[in-house]
Amino acid sequence: MTSRTAVRSPDDLAQRLAEAEATIQALMSGQIDAVVDSTSRTPVLLAKAQEALRESEERYRQIVEVTTDGIITIDRGARIVFANRRFAEMLGYEPGELISTSVFDLMLPAERTVAAEAFRAHGWGIHDAVDGILRHKNGTEILVHIAGTPLVDAHGRPVGHLGIVRDVTERKKLQAQLMVSDRMASVGTLAAGVAHEINNPLAAVIANIEYVLESLVRPPDGGTVAAGVLALDPDVRDEIKAPLDDALEAAQRVRFIVRDLKIFSRAPLEEAKGPVDVEAIMESSLRMAWNEIRHRAHVVKRFARVQAVEASEARLGQVFLNLLVNAAQALPEGRSSENEIGVTIRPDGECVVVEVSDTGSGILPENLGRVFDAFFTTKAVGVGTGLGLAICHRIVTDMGGTLTVESRAGAGTTFRLMLPIAGDLECPVVGPVPPAASSGRRGRVLVVDDEQLVRQTVTRVLAKEHDVVAVSTVSEALALCGDGARFDLILCDLMMPDKTGMDLHRELVRSSPAQANRMVFLTGGVFTDRARRFLAETPTEQVEKPFDAVNLRAIVRRYVH
Amino acid sequence: MTTTRPLASAGPAPAAGLELQLRLYVAGNAPNSERAIANAKAICDEHFASRFDLEVVDLLEHPTRALADGIIVTPTLLKLMPLPVQRVIGNLSDTDQVLLALGRR
Repeated sequence: MTSRTAVRSPDDLAQRLAEAEATIQALMSGQIDAVVDSTSRTPVLLAKAQEALRESEERYRQIVEVTTDGIITIDRGARIVFANRRFAEMLGYEPGELISTSVFDLMLPAERTVAAEAFRAHGWGIHDAVDGILRHKNGTEILVHIAGTPLVDAHGRPVGHLGIVRDVTERKKLQAQLMVSDRMASVGTLAAGVAHEINNPLAAVIANIEYVLESLVRPPDGGTVAAGVLALDPDVRDEIKAPLDDALEAAQRVRFIVRDLKIFSRAPLEEAKGPVDVEAIMESSLRMAWNEIRHRAHVVKRFARVQAVEASEARLGQVFLNLLVNAAQALPEGRSSENEIGVTIRPDGECVVVEVSDTGSGILPENLGRVFDAFFTTKAVGVGTGLGLAICHRIVTDMGGTLTVESRAGAGTTFRLMLPIAGDLECPVVGPVPPAASSGRRGRVLVVDDEQLVRQTVTRVLAKEHDVVAVSTVSEALALCGDGARFDLILCDLMMPDKTGMDLHRELVRSSPAQANRMVFLTGGVFTDRARRFLAETPTEQVEKPFDAVNLRAIVRRYVH
Repeated sequence: MTTTRPLASAGPAPAAGLELQLRLYVAGNAPNSERAIANAKAICDEHFASRFDLEVVDLLEHPTRALADGIIVTPTLLKLMPLPVQRVIGNLSDTDQVLLALGRR
């Protein structure tokens, strides 16, 4: 039979079919070197075509292998046909291990059913992109962004899907941390604003209670307000003094709370590091956490005297608060006398060691290595985000310190901070201003504050010893000074709605420098950038609201010679 | 590879007494073609002694001959004599199949 002979018989046809079959088999088994192109009737070397194909494949394979995204193809049954190295590494496998694995087996059990159901129902559409969680070979969760595209054969029939998988675990962590920081920053701004608003009336409450209390115990000097009170029977006087003492104590507690709030709500610009008194910050943190702690445990403090550490008050307070709340949450509610939260502060070489321990059930050994991982939490949904300790760890590391954990199942957990001391500086000791000896002379004091309550209170506290003039604006103060009035002391609110204390200072430096040197600023705790710069550059004294009567009088006496 | 290669072992020119006439189409020195030539030679030497003629034709150099013989892939072995014409496709590594086509089985 030759190629040109027509098919003449069934035998002939059978032979041709056999030859066609043999040709196909030879092609399939790779025994063919060349084919004759049926259109151009010219021979085509398969080897060359194959080489070109191999080169092309190699190029694509290189692209697929060097990309930073994971790339997989799956068949219609969702089994992996191809996985590039990046995808395999992402999940801790060798690429070969993944072939024929169902993609659903790489998902978390909770997501598997939903994904499988959706896949069965309508496959993956063109360019569908989803965020999901895959499971690493070691069991950890990998957050991924998957872009899927259907794959079709030469005839347009669906054969499976191509998936481009990006590991977004780190990005999500950063986003979450940023979100938490953002939220804390807004809460902080709000808290700082509230603290400022509370401080003015609180200053008035504290100073006025102190004024009345002082009047009760002071020897009669004919003072106008106190005269009626002092005329009371001593028993009645004691009866009045007791509730006033309570009121003062309560107001002082509010004052501490506001001060604590301010510590925790410093805006980033106010987070400048400096020598910080660890014990004071821990006391603040204990007060803030008290509501969480008191129903669950008693606190045992072991505070040794330590040097100041180089830190930001706000951030260190955040770390302490977090550790204390964590310790409290590790303990069951009730039976607070049986459970203990230990807080230790002690020196250790060039460091200050702070330990927060609890007598809870401890951390399971398999979880111990992960407590500082973002998103790792064993708390119920809604109780913990799994970010607290991760953020603490970052804050402490940024300070040049270390944060470590020790735990034994059944014996409780201890978190240990090592913080480098701030040079040779002692902690700044904040105590009452030492009373200045009274000169006996009545001084002249100008009070400039837009808050009427503050003006009245300062006047009342100082009026017995000094002549006080109170005005509500800088313009009024300037008018007085311009008319030749001279004061031993100008107590001026720093931040006022119209002209500020800074404006008054500037004017006085120009017109009467001696008066400018006698300015003391009353501050409410919230500063603008300008105010912060001003205070840093100008050697003036500040009194933070709420002030108390004793300290205020002591300051004034120093200016009245 | 030469255009037409009467093998030295093919013995005397086509004439009486010749038992088998073969034509093997190959594509240059591509691997399967080289293998087919070697296999064809070995089979013929073993089973047909010197009573055969094996002509090797390179498809790349003589495409028209190939078209005339209805060749669409190489290697293809044509048994021209004795009739009927038979063709074996592939590198001829399956000796039984080749012998069957050559009428020896």
